[in-house]
Order: sequence, then C-alpha cells, then structure tokens
Amino acid sequence: MKIAVIVFPGSNCDVDIYEAWRLLGVDVEYVSHREHSLDGFDAVMLPGGFSYGDYLRCGAIARFANIIPAVRKMADEGKFVFGTCNGFQILTEMGLLPGALRQNDSMNFVCKTIDLTVENNQTPFTSQYRANQQIQLPIAHGDGSYYADPATLQRLEDNHQVVFRYASENPNGSLHDIAGICNERGNVLGMMPHPERAVEELLGGTDGLTLFQSLFDQYQMKMEAK
Amino acid sequence: MKQAMTPEEIKEQRPYLDWSLTEHEYNYIADSLLHRLPNYTETGLFAAMWSEHCSYKKSKPVLRLFPNSGKRVLQGPGEGAGVVDIDDGQAVVFKAESHNHPTTVEPYQGAATGVGGILRDIFSMGARPIASLDSLHFGEIKDDATMQYKAEQTVKGVGDYGNCMGIPTIGGETTFDPCYAGNLLLNAFSLGIMDQKDMERGNASGTGNAVMYVGAKTGRDGIHGATFASKDFSAEHATQRSAVQVGDPFMEKLLMEACLEVIRQHPDWLVGIQDMGAAGIVSSSAEMASEGHSGMDLNLDLVPQREPGMSAYEIMLSESQERMLLCVKKGHEQDVQDIFAKYELDAVVIGRITDGGQYVLHHDGQVVCDIPVHTLVDDVLEEPSDEKKPARLTVDQPAWVPAVPDVLATLKQILQQPTVASSRYFTQQYDSQVRTNTVVGPGSDAGVLRVRGTKKGLAMTTDGNGRLVYLDPYVGGQRAVAEAAANIVASGAEPLAITDCLNYGDPNDPEIFWELHHSVMGMSDACREFETPVVSGNVSLYNENDGHAIHPTPMVGMVGLVHDINRVVTNKAKQSGDLVYLLGQIGDDFAGSEIQKMMTGDIAGKLAAVDLKQVHADLKNLLTAEEAGLVHSAHDISEGGLGACLSEVLFGTGLGMELTMPNLPTSRLFAEPANCLVVTVDPTHQQEFEQQVGQWATKIGVVTNRPALNIKLQDHELHANVNELEQLYEEAIPCLMKSKA
Repeated sequence: MKIAVIVFPGSNCDVDIYEAWRLLGVDVEYVSHREHSLDGFDAVMLPGGFSYGDYLRCGAIARFANIIPAVRKMADEGKFVFGTCNGFQILTEMGLLPGALRQNDSMNFVCKTIDLTVENNQTPFTSQYRANQQIQLPIAHGDGSYYADPATLQRLEDNHQVVFRYASENPNGSLHDIAGICNERGNVLGMMPHPERAVEELLGGTDGLTLFQSLFDQYQMKMEAK
Repeated sequence: MKQAMTPEEIKEQRPYLDWSLTEHEYNYIADSLLHRLPNYTETGLFAAMWSEHCSYKKSKPVLRLFPNSGKRVLQGPGEGAGVVDIDDGQAVVFKAESHNHPTTVEPYQGAATGVGGILRDIFSMGARPIASLDSLHFGEIKDDATMQYKAEQTVKGVGDYGNCMGIPTIGGETTFDPCYAGNLLLNAFSLGIMDQKDMERGNASGTGNAVMYVGAKTGRDGIHGATFASKDFSAEHATQRSAVQVGDPFMEKLLMEACLEVIRQHPDWLVGIQDMGAAGIVSSSAEMASEGHSGMDLNLDLVPQREPGMSAYEIMLSESQERMLLCVKKGHEQDVQDIFAKYELDAVVIGRITDGGQYVLHHDGQVVCDIPVHTLVDDVLEEPSDEKKPARLTVDQPAWVPAVPDVLATLKQILQQPTVASSRYFTQQYDSQVRTNTVVGPGSDAGVLRVRGTKKGLAMTTDGNGRLVYLDPYVGGQRAVAEAAANIVASGAEPLAITDCLNYGDPNDPEIFWELHHSVMGMSDACREFETPVVSGNVSLYNENDGHAIHPTPMVGMVGLVHDINRVVTNKAKQSGDLVYLLGQIGDDFAGSEIQKMMTGDIAGKLAAVDLKQVHADLKNLLTAEEAGLVHSAHDISEGGLGACLSEVLFGTGLGMELTMPNLPTSRLFAEPANCLVVTVDPTHQQEFEQQVGQWATKIGVVTNRPALNIKLQDHELHANVNELEQLYEEAIPCLMKSKA
C-alpha cells in the first residue's frame, strides 16, 4: 500500500499523518500541491493546517491547487481519500463531501481531547472500531462547526454517512453533533478531530491508530480478493 | 529623493531627541566618530541602532554579570538565539523576547508579531522551531472590559500565529496584577532543534558576496519600533499606533520552509542569515557586516516595497514582518532565488559585501549614508546609570500573617484568584499538539516534548514573579531561577540553561536601575549554582505608564533534558494508596503571596533568604529519584501555596488525599515558600525514595480513591470536595472574563 500526503502551502499536520503511517510500517510519501498526478498511490491524505493561510475561507483556495483533479480522480476510482481538519474543509470546498465548516460557535480556536462516538463502523476507515464505540481524539480548530441544509442532513443520517459524532460535548456548534462524514460510496472521509495525533500511548492515547489500521486492512483484503 | 532636513537643520532643530538619541550622543557621533555632521538618514540610523532595544547601552554593564558559558553551550548571547548541546550531535536553540509595548497598544498584532519575531530568531540559526511558551502579565480583569479585551486579544494573537505556523504552544504562565494595567507584558519563548552541523550565524563576509533580501515586502509599518520600545508610555502617546507591525503567519510559514531548505540542503551557498527584527534592514545588515568584519554597499531602490515614495529613512527603519537577510556566495544568487520562487517569495540581491568596513546606502541615485559599520554597532556609548536602593526597601515592614478562621472558604477563594486559577480558558486556544511530539502540554509544571527518533525529551518552562522581585530584587531574582529549576526537575528533566526577558520600568530612575542590577545579581548567582548559563535573552525597559512602573519582572525561560522520555513525571496524582510527601519547610512565607494580595489588596514584607546550595542538592536528589522511577507525580509549590498545590495534584484524577500535618498552622497552607514541592510515591518505593531524598522529605499522608481532600492541621481540619474545588478553579477565569462593573 502506498499513501500520498498532500502538502499545500500552509499545511502543518502533514508531519503528523506521515508519521502515523510510518508507525504502521506503511509506505508513505509527501506530494506537493504543484504535482498533477497521484498515479501509483492507493490512498491520499489531505492533512490539517492552514492551507493558503485560511485566506478567503478555509480550504477555498486549496481546491484550485494543481493536485486537486488527481485527488478527485482517486475518489472517482473508489480509492481512499481522507481529510482531517483543514483536509475536511478542503473536501467540502471541493464538493467531494456535502456541507461546510463554519467558525466555532465560541468564536475561539479550541485544542483539547474530546469524546466521540463511532456512528458507523461499516466504512473502510472504521471497520476495526466496534459499533457505537466511545473513543477519545484531539481536536484543534477554529472553524469546525459543521453545517448543511436540513435535506442534506437528513440524507446523511439516512445513508449512515455520519461516521463520528461528538459525544459528551459539542465543542464547536456542529449540527447533529457531526464530527466526521463520508461520501455515499464510503471511500471519502472528512473529520475535524485528529486521529493522527492519537497513535501513541506516550502522547496520550491510541484511539486514532485504529482508523489507519482499518484502512490498511481494507486495502489488504481488497488485494487478496483480486 | 531630497532628505527631509539638511545636516545643519538637524543640528539646529534636534529632531533626534524625539527618536531617543541624546544631544550628547549626537555630538559624540558628529565630533568623534564621523568628524562631520550626520545627514538625516544617518541620524535616523544612529537613533535606531543606539536605542536601548538594539544596543543594550544601559543594561550591558548589568548583563555582564550573567554566566554565559558551560560545557553544553555551543552559542551564547549575541546571535539570534542561544544554542545548547543535547547529545547525539543534536542541539536546541532557544530564546525569549518581549513585545510589551506593541502588545499594550494593539494586543492582537503586538502578540502575534512577538511570536513571529521569536520564531524567526530560531530558524535563522538553522533550527526548526518545535515548541513555544508564553509569559503573559495583565492588569486585573475583574469588572474591567478593556483589560478583558486586551487579554482575549493577546491570547488570540499568540494562538493565531503559532497555530497557523504549526508550532505547538505547550505551556507558559498568565498572571494578573494592577501594576501591569497600563503596560502589559507579553514575553514569547520559542525552542528549535537541529543537527549541530546545520548551525548558522548572522555573518556577512567575503568581498563580492551578495546581500539578499527575502520574504515580505517593506512597508511603512513599525518605523521606529525599537525607539518606541525604549521610551515610557504616557497619555500623550496612547495612540502611538504607527509603531505597531502587522503579522502574516502564512507568509512566515513559507519563509521558514524556504530558509530551512536553503540552510539544510545548500549550506555551501550560504555565508550567513539573520532575521530583520527591531530596526529592520539597518540592524540586520549592520550587525551581519560587523560580525563578518566587512563593509556593505546596499541599493535601497532594489528593496521590494509595498508602497511608493518611501524615503531611505523609512525603508531602512521599517519593521515590516516576515523578512530575512541572507549573505549568499557570489554565483549562487539565482539558485537561492529559485528556491524562494518555489514558495512564491521575493528573494532579491540588494547589495554586496565590500572590504574597507564602510556602510554605504544608495537611494534614488544618491549616496544617502556612508559611515563605518562599527559606528552603528560597536561604538555605542554605554550609559552609566545612577542607582539607589528604593525607599520602600529601606524601611522595616512588620511581618504579616493572615487570619484563616475558615480554611475551606479561604482555599476556595484562593483557587479562584486569576493568577492561581486554571488558565485553560487561554491555553485551550493554542494548538499544543501539532507535530505530535507533545508528551506534557499546558497545565503541568513544565511542557515536555519527546525528541522523535530518540529516547530523549525536552522540558521547558517560563516563570516570572514580579511581586517577589519587587519586595526583594536580589532574593526575587534567585527565586525566579530556582522556581524554573524546580519546575524542570519536577518534570523529570535535568536543567540545562536559561533565556530571559528582563522587564523593568524606566532605567533613568536610579531606584529602578537598582532593582535591575540587584535582581540580575540574584539570577546570576542562582544560574551559577544550578549550572544553567544564560544563553540568550532580551531586555525590555521603560515599562511604565504615566510614571507608574510595573513590578520588576524578570522572566526566566528554562530548558531541561529528559534522559529517558518514559521517566517523565507530571503534576497529577496517579493512584490511590500512593504516599504523599512534602519536600521542604513551610514558614510564614506570606510576603508577596497571593493570599496577602487577596486579603490586604497590597504586598509587603521581607522574603526569606534562599540557600541556593541546598536547593541545588535537593533538586539533584529528586531528579535521581525520578530517573530511577521512584516518583509518580511532582508539583512545585508556587502561587496559592500548598493548598493550591495539593488541589492541582488532584484535579482531573478522581482521586483524593488523607493528610496529617500536626505542626502546620492553618495559615501556612497558603504560604509561598521557596524550594517546596509535593510528590507522590508508590509505597513499594518508600524506603528507596526516602533514602534518596533524605531530610528534605516529610511523609504527610496517602492518596485515596475518593475525590476528597482531608487535612489535619495544627489548629483546624480541612474537608474539601475536590470536584467542587475543581469546578471553582476551572470556572474562575471564564467567569472573570465576562464580569461587568
């Protein structure tokens, strides 16, 4: 399995997600936003950070980067596309995921570890979690309040596209306590929490590692099936 | 472009007085250094370079007291930041810098650019910044909407800049006192890591080599920021806005990546690199030329400019942010430009290194400056200062001991004092985890990072207690360093070295200069004893508003090395059944304490002397015990005393304590002694621990599995519900931030 971590100007969690994959011994590479192709990669990660300084609107400029059509192509081909934090914002700006991320209702940036419920463990990203498992992951964002119109929210709920939900508290005012969603096909996941920051006991927990393990296993099963 | 005034008019009208250059200095420059009258541009350059902020002309004699060398010191003061060996060919680079005046005037931008400036100092040395801390001192926020706004915006400024740069802010301190109301303090600390082979210096040499300007364009912002920082505030200058710069962390992120790429991948192209900080192009270029014993010839028309019609004076003194100066070997100019182009950044050759030592500036077809480099950098007249023991220290003050009839009520009240209470409301706005190395984040005695790929860790803390220094500058100075050392050791790390920000009032006041001098003496003595040399730092004087000086507030930023990251100790109790020890003796240490301020509205009294040798020996023993895995938690007693300390050890753990201290009078639960900690130890390690730590330790009880803090004191018993205490502690600052008169 070969993973691409896209580096936009202003990406800063690229290291975190790169190191998380290395921990699993998976082949992972940084890919510049200037590139045009992701041929040879099996999954692509859009990392957190402040692409283009969050100018205009979080993720609004990144969606015009050279690499974006290649990301879209991966999604169309059913390969895995994962965005965390700013990566989630970019996925909504690209239209690969519905809705938008607005400024936190507190108006402040917030960094802490929060409780989440795994709402859907039938996706390739969450297959190793138990149904409704309670997990803890760090969040660190200023614009993480998920918004979508009522019809879209209904569709997300009906299709079980809400993958992670805030459990004990909603830290940013997200509608339906949504922390992460996938597309209908289930191969594109965007979430505000940072699973890549919860992969080592030394740093406070390993609940995030399961997500990367799930993806790795899914890939191997796919390969075996072939 | 015509100069605004002729040299004769300058001599006549003395505009330089407004730029903080004295008539004596002006005459010395004209008569003894240049042997002619300086022109307008030259006069402006002298005013900036000879300001206290750039030259340390007043504080230098005092700064010489600091020990600067040690077996691990690779670079002491004088460069962008200090460099310390952490074994395995690696080094840490760290420094703290004040941005008090800009933050007082415009808190958001002042704080943001304070962080931006210190980060450039770190990566200009070749190191990647990996953590930041802050030290914030505000006026009282209770019922004061303006101070609430300033605190909110200062924190937002620190957070937005660091968060966007992707550098975790892993700790710091926040205190509140009326003395900072008119002049708040923002001290920003940053630490970077590098391989020793990548170390860079601010050096410009080699005739014909290029002087390259990289990063953001130059605008009119921040002109005379350095001299602005070298003057008092007054009502008249309350709107001195033009001196404040505006930050762009996105630009700085690109600049950092580009600079690190050049430094690390193409060291052979580069001669030296320096941040354009205070006094902009002039200070960076003149200091680099001075370091390289070179001359420099610059054409200001080539400087990327944000607005038209800027004068030479404005271009040279602009403090626009996110700019660096590089000295690049002849022939590699295009190579450097290509790297910066990848990041869509300007990189422009603005001049060349010359021999002969002249500093020559061309602008608009004219030579606007032609003076020896050394006159700007090395010939600054040190200013002798008068000093006098402050009147308040010459009268004996009666000892004050609080009456504490209701110990629980007092404890609750203490935990809600903003200086003691949880600062989570602020620190939660900082990304403390990005780069995934943070082992201990905000809220413990020190922040701790692991060094990826090794067993090592780095602990760091910022500590400043102006109240103690106000009451006794010498002992207060010692205690600032001792407290930092206690915080580092409490975390399981060996203290390595310090950086400092010396925040004081107007040094022309002999009493304030005395405070500076004596507190630096105290700090120096402590640094010598603890073998923690001062490797970098800055001085911020003139912290006054309408003649009211802040408390003398030296801030100590200390860095420690954790030899085995699995032996890191936090300040939280770990399990019921563990033994609780008090390390140290608590006396009537109420002078300058939180309880004194809370009950009397003021501080007074005499500080107990500190036995530095004993403190050092004790801390060494504790570290040995920690490294042997004998200690489950350690927390140093500081503001709020033992009562607050014990509460903090329990908060968030669900645990409690059963303690007996039959000889401790109730009031001393709130005393603030030096060299005291609370530690918890697994009972199976009791004997080994007691042997290791010796007389210093007194067993006072056990950790229990119910959230109750019960203490039998000499004259009272405390029975507290820890959850209730924690709620008060957590809600105090959010509540104060909304309080209205």
